[in-house]
Amino acid sequence: MSINQIWRKFIVIVLAVGLCLTTFGCGGGEQSTYNRTGGVDHRTATPTFINDGKYPVQQATYNDANGEYTLFLLNSTPPAFATTKLQMAQLTDDDIKQGKTTYLQVEKGQPSLYITPEFKIQYVHNVTETRENANGQKETVVVRQESSFWSPFAGALAGQVIGSMLFRPQYYVPPIYQSGGSISGFGGYGSSYERAVSEYQARYNEPPAAVRNQAIFRRTGALRNSETSLNRPANTSSRSTGSGFGSSTLRSSNRSSSVRPPSGSSFGSGSRSSAMRRSFGGFGSRRRR
Amino acid sequence: MHDTFNRIMGRTRYVVCRLFLHLRGSEVAPILGILNRASREVIDTDGDSSVIGEQLVRICENLLQIDQNWFSAANEGDVFWDEGEAGDYFNELFTDSAQRYLSEPDFNSTTDANEPLSIPVTNNVVVMITVAYTGEVPELEVDLSNLKALQESLKALINLQYKQKYRAIQVHFSPARLGDELTNDQLLQNFPELIPL
Repeated sequence: MSINQIWRKFIVIVLAVGLCLTTFGCGGGEQSTYNRTGGVDHRTATPTFINDGKYPVQQATYNDANGEYTLFLLNSTPPAFATTKLQMAQLTDDDIKQGKTTYLQVEKGQPSLYITPEFKIQYVHNVTETRENANGQKETVVVRQESSFWSPFAGALAGQVIGSMLFRPQYYVPPIYQSGGSISGFGGYGSSYERAVSEYQARYNEPPAAVRNQAIFRRTGALRNSETSLNRPANTSSRSTGSGFGSSTLRSSNRSSSVRPPSGSSFGSGSRSSAMRRSFGGFGSRRRR
Repeated sequence: MHDTFNRIMGRTRYVVCRLFLHLRGSEVAPILGILNRASREVIDTDGDSSVIGEQLVRICENLLQIDQNWFSAANEGDVFWDEGEAGDYFNELFTDSAQRYLSEPDFNSTTDANEPLSIPVTNNVVVMITVAYTGEVPELEVDLSNLKALQESLKALINLQYKQKYRAIQVHFSPARLGDELTNDQLLQNFPELIPL
């Protein structure tokens, strides 16, 4: 074997390894389907990842405590799949004539549900109540659950969306829940979940149940108790009195560690050289920790 | 680079930022009344997002009116492309803001009957506003340690409410009410990042 042949083999191996690395490196970010958590925590043990492909759907359930869809699929092991990032589209008349029924299409980790107009998604409605927990933090508690059906594309849809838009996968938010009877149509739609939520908000002047149930309200200091007879601290104390309140509809991540890796995009006032940080795409300097 | 990539991919951009504003002067104490009224309204509605937004607007408008008393300020923030990370950072900032004053005050000790009738009037008030919004607001994502930038940022905070871009809002202030004092020493100790305007 000449030096030349060994060299060629070496090049082939290096290229193959390089190709593998770049392929997996690019694919990693896309497959992050995760459960939503927040005020009402109803995480299921249902898998949240599914391989790309096309699966016939047996049953679909939507839970408005966390906006999670649970799908029971055929030709998939395990048969159940849960996601909060589900796009939906209506099957075209041609598809239905060809005998297609409701199916789930997964492309690059993004699930889209193609459904017939008659298809009913089971809708689990959570009747909630706001209570104060031991830490003085308001939290939403589920009192009971009611079950109903939701058909996103049934009934009078004319005027809500331009016809052809229905056949493209988009995010949908269910309309306001009415106890008894099934719900049809949708409260908001959009090319992103956030857009669907903001459309719902514009229509009903309040966030959808899935978002509202996850809102967290916090308060501290003198606002913690409703009592007004607060004593003045001695002036020798290292801290003065104070109050704080805050409300959030952001979900929190499932990570247990609170240490964030440096992001390079932070900004703020501060004396540390802001010019250096600017070169990383940020525009400021103050960083804690 | 990462930023541009996410933008092209059409991901939602979350910004969490915190603003410190320190007011100094013998006539700053009345702002405590406005802050307390705002917090009562918010608590009455259990932190309803539209009410908390309205109250933030009211606080910002009142702060803008007394810009002659602005003494020092600081800000910090970060950009996220993941909602969970933004939510974590927002919670972290709440806890950090709360530990700068007596967040667990003593309610039980008895009051002294010989207390004088006059009450001290604080010369310092610190307001901490933290918000999380979607999209990009250049007025807020800069160094705000100068008067002009700070005025613009408070106006931007007001406008964000009417653009309905808020995902989370929190307001903290120290001292808690009229009659409590925030001394210069306490200020130096607990708010080291403040930069004079």
